[in-house]
Amino acid sequence: MRKIVTRTPARSLIPGRPMLALLSVLAFFLAGQAFSDTASKDAEYWLDRLGPALNMTSYRGVFVYARGNQVSSMQIAHRYQNGVVEERLVPQDGANGEIVRKGMRVICVLPDHGRIQLDQVIPSGPFAEAFSSQLMPVSRWYKSEVAGDDRIAGYEVVKLALNAKDELRYSHQLWLEKSTGLLVKSNVSSSDGEVLEHFQFTSLEITDSLSDSEFVIRTEGTEIERELATKKTSSPAPRMDGWTLEWRPDGFIPAAAPRSGKGQAVAFSDGLAAFSVFVEPAREMVMPTGASRIGATTVYMKQLEVDDVDFFVTVVGEIPPTTARKVAEAVRVDDRLAFGAIGQ
Amino acid sequence: MDDRLKETLSAMMDDEADELSVRRLLSHAHQDEVRSQWQRWQQVRDLMHQGNLADDRVDVSAGVRDALDGGPQQAPGSVASHRAGRERSWHWPAVAMVTLALVVGFGAGAGWDSVEDSTTIANAGVPADQSESRNSASEGEPVREVALQGLDDEQWEQVSRYLLEHAQHNSVGAGRGSVGYARLVSASGPGY
Repeated sequence: MRKIVTRTPARSLIPGRPMLALLSVLAFFLAGQAFSDTASKDAEYWLDRLGPALNMTSYRGVFVYARGNQVSSMQIAHRYQNGVVEERLVPQDGANGEIVRKGMRVICVLPDHGRIQLDQVIPSGPFAEAFSSQLMPVSRWYKSEVAGDDRIAGYEVVKLALNAKDELRYSHQLWLEKSTGLLVKSNVSSSDGEVLEHFQFTSLEITDSLSDSEFVIRTEGTEIERELATKKTSSPAPRMDGWTLEWRPDGFIPAAAPRSGKGQAVAFSDGLAAFSVFVEPAREMVMPTGASRIGATTVYMKQLEVDDVDFFVTVVGEIPPTTARKVAEAVRVDDRLAFGAIGQ
Repeated sequence: MDDRLKETLSAMMDDEADELSVRRLLSHAHQDEVRSQWQRWQQVRDLMHQGNLADDRVDVSAGVRDALDGGPQQAPGSVASHRAGRERSWHWPAVAMVTLALVVGFGAGAGWDSVEDSTTIANAGVPADQSESRNSASEGEPVREVALQGLDDEQWEQVSRYLLEHAQHNSVGAGRGSVGYARLVSASGPGY
């Protein structure tokens, strides 16, 4: 110890030493600069991989999903073969059931949960272009950065932090498996850092050896089958028959126009978050006005009267209650005759 | 719900209700009404007590029934822990609670009142420069919260259909894969 202390001053007397120190400091700076450059490039690189990886990776595993006070887990097998996605999901809690998907053919075997029939909700199409195929300038609305490495379910992952630049949306954290870009964990959190929704694989095996037998329906029950139409609607923007949105949060663009109910639903997305707006004639029902939150999902309900006809306006999405309210309040019904159900 | 039952509820919060009236309350025909009243008061109390709200989706009536019928040690697990929390909180003075109810502006009987950390929601208000909406009047106000468990069957069905449909946009349509599916199944679950 004493040796080092006595030797250090001696060393600094060597000519050229200060220069060397300066150089090394400079080098350090440059390296840091270069590092931060690659880091920012990386975030975009990883975001680009996210969408394709979700479909084109083959894997099996179990994931948990928590929002609010609910926790559920699901077993999943996912295969990408000859350009076709096959998927089988089996909920691990509650009643038995499963969802099997082959390409755009989806079969749900879910027992009646008491109050909901799933056949009411699987849209019969046409789906507009999927969100994932649209190139959204995510970085305009979120500050994206690589926030380190980690290991999840046995795989090396990279963590991306996507912090909302305004109060109109939530922040997201994504963990992607390094070799494939597969999303293995995600959090949605509010502006004060509270995690509202949590998704994570607890066991995962990324492998190409998934046999056909893993995609066969095994649950007994009523099968509900739907074909998800892939063809684009004639106009790129979904129809909002009879109503308009006078305001929507920056960056959210119309994304899909599923048709399943009698009402008018349009989905909007900013590339990460999405919300759907439903406008329906109210008929005999009365709905309260206000917001409910389940994890990151807000439901904002509102009743609107146009020429003595009541409409329900409902906004559902992974957005803060204040945003959902603003969207709901920006709905204007301008042509109530467009709603076929009126007068029945 | 008549005034006598409300009195019982209030007395329960004060830990002063006698067993007979609690039993009467629990056998009241409109349990959801009783529950939502109780939860509203509890939320007010929670708000005062800890500055934030406990989860309001827990129905404690089963636990209370257990306690009346058998003894406090019966219901294990989460219900028990929630109940423990509630029981402790019953000592909160009702007078203070009612005072706050007046201050905060939702008196007993107001329909869909209640708030989950209303302060946070209020503060999360949209920045002024982005408010192109003409609804600026409501801008600074906290978003009013609707308790899902307060909805009747028909309303709930409507809401859950929206939840599912939105989840569906997110799964297949959005290419969000498993997360979207998880939202879908979570939405169709019997929870809440």
